[in-house]
Amino acid sequence: MRRSRAVGRAGLGTGMSFVGPFLLVYAAFLLYPLVQAVRMSLYDWDLLGMAPQWRGADNYVQMLWGTQMEWDLAHLWQLRLLILVVAALVAWRAARSRSRIQYCGVAALLLLATVLGFHPGPDGMWYDPLFWESFTHTLQFTLMSTPLIIGLGLAMALAVNNSRHRGGKIYQVAFFVPYVLPISVATLVWTNVLSPGRGILSAFLANFGVEPISWLGDQHLAMPAIVVMTAWWTVGFNLVMFSAGLQDIDPTLYEAAMLDGANTWHRFLHVTMPGLRHVTALVLVMQIIAGFVVFGQVNIMTSGGPGNATRTLVLHLYETGFTQKHLGAGAAMALFLFAVMFVISLVQLRLMREEK
Amino acid sequence: MVTQISRSAPPVEADRLAENAAERPRSRRRIAGSVVYHVLMAVCAFIWLVPLFWMLSMSLSKDEALRVNASSLIPQDFTFENFRNAFAISLVGRWFLNSVIVTASTTVLTVALCTMAGYAFAQVPFKGRAVLYALVLGGLMVPFEAVFIPLFTMFAGVDQHNTYHALVLPRLASALGVFVMTQFFSKVPKEYSEAAMVDGAGRWTVFFRIMVPLARPAMLSLGIIVFVWSWNDYIWPLVSVSDREMFTITPGLASLKLQWSNAQNLGSIMARGVVGAAPVLIVFLLFQRHLIRGITLSSGEK
Repeated sequence: MRRSRAVGRAGLGTGMSFVGPFLLVYAAFLLYPLVQAVRMSLYDWDLLGMAPQWRGADNYVQMLWGTQMEWDLAHLWQLRLLILVVAALVAWRAARSRSRIQYCGVAALLLLATVLGFHPGPDGMWYDPLFWESFTHTLQFTLMSTPLIIGLGLAMALAVNNSRHRGGKIYQVAFFVPYVLPISVATLVWTNVLSPGRGILSAFLANFGVEPISWLGDQHLAMPAIVVMTAWWTVGFNLVMFSAGLQDIDPTLYEAAMLDGANTWHRFLHVTMPGLRHVTALVLVMQIIAGFVVFGQVNIMTSGGPGNATRTLVLHLYETGFTQKHLGAGAAMALFLFAVMFVISLVQLRLMREEK
Repeated sequence: MVTQISRSAPPVEADRLAENAAERPRSRRRIAGSVVYHVLMAVCAFIWLVPLFWMLSMSLSKDEALRVNASSLIPQDFTFENFRNAFAISLVGRWFLNSVIVTASTTVLTVALCTMAGYAFAQVPFKGRAVLYALVLGGLMVPFEAVFIPLFTMFAGVDQHNTYHALVLPRLASALGVFVMTQFFSKVPKEYSEAAMVDGAGRWTVFFRIMVPLARPAMLSLGIIVFVWSWNDYIWPLVSVSDREMFTITPGLASLKLQWSNAQNLGSIMARGVVGAAPVLIVFLLFQRHLIRGITLSSGEK
């Protein structure tokens, strides 16, 4: 935003007459609720109009803590080792670029790896075991859906933008269409596609002698089934992002590579992939965020079941807030989610500012 | 200015040369390769869309026929009865109307507010502008899930749930929309407004006479994407609306989910799904390029 000296500064009144209406709505329906969420998370706030009771940090303790808590080195060691490896990589880069932000990142990761060592002892339990279960399922969903949807989106974008054959772009329409469907229509179709009795999937598999499978009724299959449904529904977004990224790659780079005798694979590796770096990073962040707030699919298709196999964070916070009517506890979870996503978004904002 | 997404990738010069100079067997192999490519892609696209074809086929079949065999992609006992019934005997018509009202108001108001704010943030130098814009950008990081519980109590406190404005107002606080429009206006040369203002035009004249016409494509892209998001909004109406008559169609259809697994009336259920999806599908087919550009704009990619 450069200032224009020629015209001079406009009065505050003129500026506010343009931005005022939006700011009013923004303050009332985003900023105020955000502050209010912090306040609510400190109270026992129920729906029925009783005066809220001050609880201090109790809602947070209930959410994150348990009885007979212990700390040991081996708890969740695979995950924590992974975090330490990432921390080491970031530290290595930070040492080279002397970036203060990266050092903060290393500190945060080390703290996380330490904190994850806490768990209830043999006689103890979490105050809210379902919260941790939901958190785990949300991570599972994110870890499964992110690579699948990004990989599929990239493959589709490469296929429809194939420069050797004309007219591939028509197929983009077909692959993109499910993205515009309302969640209830997408889930309606897929509930039936996956239905063991009459679904087309079991009808198709029957040709190969496979017995009907109750995808959504099975503890281990329900989440993967929802991941597949989500991929079908949302891959169009990544497809158009990658398509846009591919079109921004300078075609002369390909020509130069061809003159140098690079084959298709080398051109992909040394021209296409570097050209898509920015889009890939952007899509990755957005996909992770989308994974963390997954709600509609599980609420409609499985209601978090079977057992709690598909209960996710947002579903848990929705039920805590509106089914059990503990709005304060719900607000605390919402802020926890916000904190996680805030960190991810910081990365995204940096990426958006980085280039162009 | 805004990059256009061209419909097809520009043909690479080297390819064209090769085509002209190629001897016959090579060009024949090229054609064969193209045929294989298109057949393969068409098959993949068809498989991808099978769930939708299936839904359409069931919605056009008689319920009785579906009880016998539901897994056909061709309508059995072709009929429009399911669609007539959807509007005649269920709340689908009412939900559809609610969706139209809520989506239309959300779209028009969001585009208007964001265009005004985006113009000022990019082109009108006023005191405190940088701070205010930073505040708006900060909102990009706030997920709706973080604020929907307080929003619920706010509207409950003044007894305003189950109204259209309760469904519209929270969705107008779209930091993303302001971001998109500010990005657009920051690429418009300052000379345009300066020239007009030297001639004595006020900021509002400049806005309506020069900026709005210039911004029409960006406004259309934003409008289309807000339309789709608003039509598909699930979580807020689910929380805010308790009176079934006030549902929009997205949570409305979801509220019927117990009937989905009931094989007795598959045809009518699917017809309701088709009705719920029709407006976004039509908007998509009419405005695909704008929708796709809206997506790339709002992600900061373009």
